[in-house]
Amino acid sequence: MKKLLVSPSPHIHSSVSTKTIMRDVVIALAPAVICAFLFYGWYSLAVMVVSVAASIAIEWAVAKWLLKSPDTPCLWASAVTGLLLALSLPPSIPLWIVLIGDLFAIGVVKMTFGGLGQNIFNPAIAARVFLLISFPVQMTDWTVCGGIISPVDDITGATLLGVMSEGGDVMALSSLDLGRTFFYNIGGSAGEISALAFLLGFAYLLIRKVITPLIPLTILGTAFIFGWIFFAIDPTQYVNPFINILAGGMLLGSIFMATDYVTSPMSESGCVIYGVGIGLITMLIRYFGAYPEGISFAILFMNALVPLIDRACHRKKFGRT
Amino acid sequence: MAKTFPIGGIHPADKKISRDSAIVALPLPPVVYISMCQHIGAPAVPVVTVGQKVRTGEVIAEPGGFVSAYIHSSVTGIVKSIAPRADITGKMVPHIEIETMPDEWVDTVDLSTKIACHIPDDPAAIVEAVKQAGVVGLGGATFPTHVKLTPPPGKVAEYLILNGTECEPYLTSDNRIMVERAEEIVVGAWIINRVLGKQCRCFIGIEENKPDAIEAIKKAIGRLNILSGGIYEIEVVALKKKYPQGGEKQLIRTITGREVKSMALPIDSGAVVQNVATALAVYEAVMKHKPLTTNTLTVTGDCLDDAFQRNYLFRIGTPISFVIDQIGGVPENAAKVISGGPMMGKAVSNLDATLVKGSSAILFLTESQTRRPKETVCIRCGKCADACPMGLEPFLLYRLANAANLEELEKYSVQDCIECGCCLYTCPAGLPLLDKIRLAKADVLGAIRSRKK
Repeated sequence: MKKLLVSPSPHIHSSVSTKTIMRDVVIALAPAVICAFLFYGWYSLAVMVVSVAASIAIEWAVAKWLLKSPDTPCLWASAVTGLLLALSLPPSIPLWIVLIGDLFAIGVVKMTFGGLGQNIFNPAIAARVFLLISFPVQMTDWTVCGGIISPVDDITGATLLGVMSEGGDVMALSSLDLGRTFFYNIGGSAGEISALAFLLGFAYLLIRKVITPLIPLTILGTAFIFGWIFFAIDPTQYVNPFINILAGGMLLGSIFMATDYVTSPMSESGCVIYGVGIGLITMLIRYFGAYPEGISFAILFMNALVPLIDRACHRKKFGRT
Repeated sequence: MAKTFPIGGIHPADKKISRDSAIVALPLPPVVYISMCQHIGAPAVPVVTVGQKVRTGEVIAEPGGFVSAYIHSSVTGIVKSIAPRADITGKMVPHIEIETMPDEWVDTVDLSTKIACHIPDDPAAIVEAVKQAGVVGLGGATFPTHVKLTPPPGKVAEYLILNGTECEPYLTSDNRIMVERAEEIVVGAWIINRVLGKQCRCFIGIEENKPDAIEAIKKAIGRLNILSGGIYEIEVVALKKKYPQGGEKQLIRTITGREVKSMALPIDSGAVVQNVATALAVYEAVMKHKPLTTNTLTVTGDCLDDAFQRNYLFRIGTPISFVIDQIGGVPENAAKVISGGPMMGKAVSNLDATLVKGSSAILFLTESQTRRPKETVCIRCGKCADACPMGLEPFLLYRLANAANLEELEKYSVQDCIECGCCLYTCPAGLPLLDKIRLAKADVLGAIRSRKK
């Protein structure tokens, strides 16, 4: 008679694993990847492929050669980092800068803290900020290179947020066709073209139950209310709040980066504090800071507070008031 | 609109393969081994001697304490031995071995199948009958029913909830008894309700995935009310399919809106929960003077041939190996045999162990269905906390358990864990959350108990 397996209950397990979750995130990013390719062409595709490949290679090398880990790291997770970094860089970024970014993201931000699940900061955002400070010229060069399709009548070379920050014609921005901005918006990072692409990805993540809408909605809600108050006070100085949601890295950041499991709080109340914090800091930087965009700094800042938030906020327990 | 509990829960595949298989009596085994530990509390004390002849339904062991129960012979035969024997987990407990012969029931038992519905008026007599019949809770905990029917002084039951949820995947025995023996269950429910008093409202909670059972119970209540002139005020509540809907605290929350406080008993919230199979046993004990010597057993599994998906009426003390012989042996690709459901059942380590009062299923799972995924690292996804029906944070308890930090474990309510397994089922990193939490919970409960002294 063959031997029976004996173990404590439960005896069945969900088919969802870290690997399938990370794969779902990559799938959810597909619409943004396709948009980047269509509008910025083969070069942006090369940036994404190089970034993903480098992230995987670096994580593998650190885990296997430096740390001599017996386990294979989750390569889908490193692919997510590589892809997010590529999408948050300007479309004409030199490849060697991309490689430095990957090395910093995986090698420094993720692996020195102990690898997957241990890092305090979101690797992709930390790397983006690192590059922004180290290579300010290349990181704000919004030159558009040849896309597969070329829409007409665009603000080329300048981002919406850049125009706002430099005191450009705010009234003209507010009168922009919001509908068009929803579908595509040239000028900005490779992945920031289409709000529609992000919302498709968002819907996919929600359907697959990878994330809950709590963090994205609190960030977007806070930013919208903040923008709306200023717009109501003085529409000649401040833009229509919808522009704040659609422009820059707001959607990429709130849907894909702020929701990173490892660097976000574990309780609902904690997620609300975290989301409101990110929304508020982003808008303060956009309106009063030196940089045109602030969501990366906002997420990093709130990442640092997560251990504290987690100590203070817990879930509501059954049978305790 | 079907009701459910508000926090946590999971939706594993239903797999009620044997749902339409009518209950059949398992053949009489040549020998039975009746365990003295078939209930929570003190083991029963044997009152027979080796060589003695016992009849079916005769008392063979008496309660060994206040929380304990009578045990009756499930067969007619000769007592061959009284000796320790391994139970399904391999623990040695005393068993009475009886070599069987054709059934000869004790004279007091009413063997007719006619529905008896003249419920005795005296609650004390009912409780005594339940006690004498050795009835224990058949929903899993096997707590002696007569103790549960005697609320502590000052506590009043406002709600009696019959648990017909059967929320574990695969299990169908409760579904079958509700379909086939609905009237007896309803009368049993009303007997319990009479004991608990006139102020007590009675509900039967059944998951939506058992429409036949809901229908049968509703019809039975209607029919009995025509016969009796409308005394059965029992409300059937359809519940959403969600595990662990049948958890006592989850069911009370769903039906009454009340949350049983941490470390408190259901009765503290004015609720008493009884399984439908227990109600059936109470009916037989009170109306037919028939002790609890049989129960219903689902035999199922995806790797089991369709023809062998069964619901058996079994006698307590039947060896599991005898049941398995009836279905042509352990299926070829089965890797694990489980007594009970896949979420809370116990893996059988010993096929010679025997069935007890609370046995509900023999489930066969294949290697691929039951092998745990490889452990990786926590990615802080929070899915375990989303799944926990008690609102606990398994990721945190797991970390604290690894650090053996009893103080913090208690602060974060490890003692409220109901061991439903939702966290471990859900964890994408394959961490043994419940394994560690279960051990930590036992330690913390031990510390709490020693502090009270």
